[in-house]
Amino acid sequence: MSVGAGPATAPATARRVIDARGSWCPGPLMELIAAIREEDVGTEIELLSSDEGSRKDVPLWLEKAGQRLLAMTSEGGFDRYVIQKVR
Amino acid sequence: MKRVVVLGGGIGGTTVANRIRRLLANEVAGGQVQIQVVDRDGIHAYQPGFLMVVFDKMRPEETKQAESHLLHRSIELVKAEVEKVDTAAKKVLVKGGREISYDLLVIASGSVLHPELVPGFSEAAHTFYDLANAEKLRDTLRTFSGGRIVVNVAGLPYKCPVAPLEVSFMLDDFLRSRGVRDKSEIHYTYPIPKVFGIDTVAPVMQKLMVDRGISIHVPFNVQTIDPAKKTMTSLEGETLPFDLLIGIPPHRGADFLKDSGLGDKGNWVPTDRYALTADGKEGIFVLGDATNIPISKAGSTADYEAEVVAQNVASVVRGGGVTARYEGRVYCWIMTGLTQATYIKFDYLHPPHPPTPSFAHYWNKTIYNRAYWDMTARAMF
Repeated sequence: MSVGAGPATAPATARRVIDARGSWCPGPLMELIAAIREEDVGTEIELLSSDEGSRKDVPLWLEKAGQRLLAMTSEGGFDRYVIQKVR
Repeated sequence: MKRVVVLGGGIGGTTVANRIRRLLANEVAGGQVQIQVVDRDGIHAYQPGFLMVVFDKMRPEETKQAESHLLHRSIELVKAEVEKVDTAAKKVLVKGGREISYDLLVIASGSVLHPELVPGFSEAAHTFYDLANAEKLRDTLRTFSGGRIVVNVAGLPYKCPVAPLEVSFMLDDFLRSRGVRDKSEIHYTYPIPKVFGIDTVAPVMQKLMVDRGISIHVPFNVQTIDPAKKTMTSLEGETLPFDLLIGIPPHRGADFLKDSGLGDKGNWVPTDRYALTADGKEGIFVLGDATNIPISKAGSTADYEAEVVAQNVASVVRGGGVTARYEGRVYCWIMTGLTQATYIKFDYLHPPHPPTPSFAHYWNKTIYNRAYWDMTARAMF
């Protein structure tokens, strides 16, 4: 599964990676929110989550928060979300 | 002699110490096992009672007892603040310089409120997560004549996850009973895109809120509070004005856990969700709010976990292994008004399905509020 535009791999700039695999909803989302609070506008964040609830909650929160989902891919047993802080 | 040291005299620490004592009664009486509880002030708080104090349903003095009255007489209470655990030397260092050696350690140090992490929180927000502030909120509500009330949860995780729901429903009932509900608004905010973290519970609570005329703002992650303008602004860009703000401040684990190399970023201890042992640490058990297990930080969680930890501590003391498993059991009442409640009961495999709110569930909760001291803290049943 893949949504959004932009590269899921080979980023042009350094990315902050949050490995939230093994954490349950809403753990991955809360880790993402903490990272959005801390990082500068323009920063890319890569979130790894094995929690199925994240598939709904993460895109929903990003839309509400006005942040950009660059890519979402399913990999063996987990999902990879690439996000850019835009505001 | 084997030394079992419990850090924390809250619900988890107290009940686990009493349970270990009972399981090892002969060894303790015979001097082969010593149990010590280290607690900062020696005062035990029944924290679910704070919300009851807000609405005059419990008196403040009913929510606390001396820890020494709750622990079995053979358990030593050390009134001191923990500074550090030296896991290599198996020693607990407390303020004042005393060192306490252990063979087995139980970490039950709970969670710590950090209002300073939200700019403006301390100046502008009422809370009910400590007794003094619960009394202040009670006094404020006694003279509240109407206005805009905002209930805010600053971040997850926080203890007693249903409490923000409860305070919202109880407020609705309270304002109606005072004849000022039509002059008031209640706004409920929550950090994730639903009103509660458990999927089977959130829609039920959301429907109750809609039925009661409680406005919902999710997701709402508070960034700043302006005490002068009486507004709060979220990371999502929403600004809410308020006349009365009831906030749940950010929570972290105890500071000494970080200094001891035992805590994660939030000072929660990485813990095996079944064995309740600290990851990668020999002879250390963890329970209650102190763990990083993604399950409710609630009194019942600590109580159920204490049964498992006590069995495993007793087993290890007798030369056995860690065989008892915590299956994720939690049981929480949810006050849905001043005289009605429902509950959630669940474990790792079975999600909760709250029954229709009723007076009977409220009555059970009321009985438990009184039975807590003997039933849970002293672990007499």
